[in-house]
Amino acid sequence: MTLTLSGVGYRYAGADRPSLLDIDLELPDGAVVGLAGPSEAGKTTLCLVASGLAPRTVGGRIRGSITLDGENVDAWPMHRLSQQIGIGFQNPATQLSQVSATVFEEVAFGPMNLAVPRDEVVASTWEALATMGIDDLAERDPLRLSGGQQQLVAMAGLLAMRPAHLVLDEPTAQLDPAGTTLVGEAIARLASDGTSILIAEQKTDLLATVASRVVVLDEGRIALSGPTDEVLNDPRLVELGVAEPAPVRLARAARAAGIDPARLEAAHG
Amino acid sequence: MAGGDRLNAGPISTQSRRSIPDFLGRPGPSAYHRLNPLTKAALATVTAIAAVVLGGLIGPIALVVAAVGVPALVAGVLGRLVRTSLLLSLPIALSAFLVNLFFFPGAERVLLRVGPITATAEGLAFALEILARILAISGAVTLFYLTTRPADLVVDLERRGVSRRIGFVTNASVQTVPAMVERAAQITAAQRARGLDTEGSVWRRARGIIPIVGPVILGSIAEVEERTMALEARGFTRPGRRTLLWSPPDSRAQSVLRWTLLAALVALIVLRLTGVVA
Amino acid sequence: MVELHAEGLVHVYREGGVRALDGVTCSIAPAERVALIGQNGSGKTTLVRHLNGLLRPTEGRVTLDGTDASRLTVAQLARRVGLVFQDPDRQVFAASVRAEVEFGPRNLGATGADLRSAVAFALTATGLEGERSTNPYDLGQSRRKLLALASVLAMGTPVLILDEPTTGQDARGVERVRAIVEAVTGEGRTVIAISHDMRFVADTFERVIVMRAGRIILDGTPAEVFARASWEALRSTYLEPTLAARVGQRLGLGSTPTDATVIDALR
Repeated sequence: MTLTLSGVGYRYAGADRPSLLDIDLELPDGAVVGLAGPSEAGKTTLCLVASGLAPRTVGGRIRGSITLDGENVDAWPMHRLSQQIGIGFQNPATQLSQVSATVFEEVAFGPMNLAVPRDEVVASTWEALATMGIDDLAERDPLRLSGGQQQLVAMAGLLAMRPAHLVLDEPTAQLDPAGTTLVGEAIARLASDGTSILIAEQKTDLLATVASRVVVLDEGRIALSGPTDEVLNDPRLVELGVAEPAPVRLARAARAAGIDPARLEAAHG
Repeated sequence: MAGGDRLNAGPISTQSRRSIPDFLGRPGPSAYHRLNPLTKAALATVTAIAAVVLGGLIGPIALVVAAVGVPALVAGVLGRLVRTSLLLSLPIALSAFLVNLFFFPGAERVLLRVGPITATAEGLAFALEILARILAISGAVTLFYLTTRPADLVVDLERRGVSRRIGFVTNASVQTVPAMVERAAQITAAQRARGLDTEGSVWRRARGIIPIVGPVILGSIAEVEERTMALEARGFTRPGRRTLLWSPPDSRAQSVLRWTLLAALVALIVLRLTGVVA
Repeated sequence: MVELHAEGLVHVYREGGVRALDGVTCSIAPAERVALIGQNGSGKTTLVRHLNGLLRPTEGRVTLDGTDASRLTVAQLARRVGLVFQDPDRQVFAASVRAEVEFGPRNLGATGADLRSAVAFALTATGLEGERSTNPYDLGQSRRKLLALASVLAMGTPVLILDEPTTGQDARGVERVRAIVEAVTGEGRTVIAISHDMRFVADTFERVIVMRAGRIILDGTPAEVFARASWEALRSTYLEPTLAARVGQRLGLGSTPTDATVIDALR
């Protein structure tokens, strides 16, 4: 089920300027698209628009069209859209429902809300836990887990609704190195399993690992778009305010010093 | 369940059919704990109202023993119950006791004089009655609170048709308090690190409220926005009932018991009003 | 200007009895640039909160220029040690950027021209001069974080502690923080930063202290801490050496924690 944004623009309620302009983005099944850009370039806004939370929950005005397999989703209510597109946020703790005594119930929260038959709720919950590799956390109190673990629980909660696409807004931003590794590896596994993901991240090294395409936003518009290698090696990244992946930065420094970057290539494992 | 959605087809794996986990809705440690929450709520409510309605001393004391003490013993929470309900009711109980002991109007039989004020026998009798009532009410409420998880009551009500949003708000609100307290502590630390004096005079400390209360409120509002989005993204606003994985068990006997308690209470009120019972 | 010293520091939290610091001893000289790294729960935050008195030791002591910190109140210590918290939303309260930045120096008694110049310096360093009258909540998250930094910077304390200054910052924001660290230490002030960003740490700091389970397990220059010999210790606490360090190792260049050191070694 391909998610397509065509000529999409968005303005927050009461804002004097649009936050997004002329966005053309396609997310086919199984694709992983990375979203990069400086702070306030519109990455979060784009995630909210792609998932439908903007304008449904957040308000504001949207232009252009958003379609799923060609069908316009403007009139779809949020709960219907959430079955096709799941969205995860930076802060692990605020995504938890707070009313679930165990991780199992937390992950089941979404399917339960959708009034899915009980045995299907149970089946998809166990699947989601298995996919995220957190079966052993099923009985634990979600509020007592580490940030990284909570982020995995939140993502499992989205997967339990079996969406066609996953939108992740800087999932590792608030995590420590252990959490970042945990979540980064889980995302890589999801990507290789064929889950479709739109992931916004400052950590371009992570995007280099999981994304097949990268889109760079600048002041609400798409500044660069293309295959990951191409975009993350583009010399314009720095002036756009995007951190280069470590190997790219090292290669650039080498070139500037008159050293052939190929000498370094061999050393990248 | 009629009207429910279906999810997209999951991965085709024979392993995926696993059963509902047994750790959901952990049963309580005693037979009393394991009663349906509505039954326990009914007992607490009826006891509290009966304590007010019943006249005299014997009635409330009997209630304390039979409706609070015995179940507490069965549930194994007698010690905690005594400590907690005493703590809860101490201020009111003490002041009500003293006021009635010394200032009961129209009393004649003097027990002892303490300076200008006099303790009377009638006052003592009434004070004891009030005390027994207060103990019965606080005991009944504490018993309920000690043997019932709020989440269980909420789920039970939801099964019976109460809107799940009310239940959600109740549950979530309870969680909010410790989070807010922790947040306020963090904010206080941050402001102290910028030289806010929290150890000076009352006036200085009063001025320090805004730098603390401001972020607590603003931050909580921002957090509410984030939480709302996360909930909506998980289908929370879908109208109608939702699937429950588990709800507290109930039985015909308990249902009969609840109605009987209610009937007894109504009878008691009627008898009291018509003067048959003092 | 201020020499910090921690001696046998132990801290057990009353709630839960967690032994967050298990015997920490270290000295930090004036104008040093120190990075404090480690997992959440390793004791980094607990340690820095002892330096400004927000926490008091269960055992051991902290001294500033020889004076025992437990003799001074938090307000008194705030003159010498500024601490920027990780979450700006747990600090920012004023209706304007200017008022927010003034709060700290005012508490320390600054007025008039001194106050104005302290505020101006902090706003320029964080790129917020154009936002004096803006409501902090109209700034994006990352700029609000810079605002929190500005508000402590303006206090002019001899020691500046930054708790995860680059989390949530984009490349430009990280550059700004680097520039601030350099400017501040250039004036003879000490900077201690808690960070998860190994590249930022290697590029910006001259001393790296690694903590695990309430203890210091490594303490040295970036070259020492990211050298091959330390990798096991780092990885035991889920930290990865920088790419530059790994590349340098594979090419047999010795310890090269930063891009610049790799390039130098190749010339």
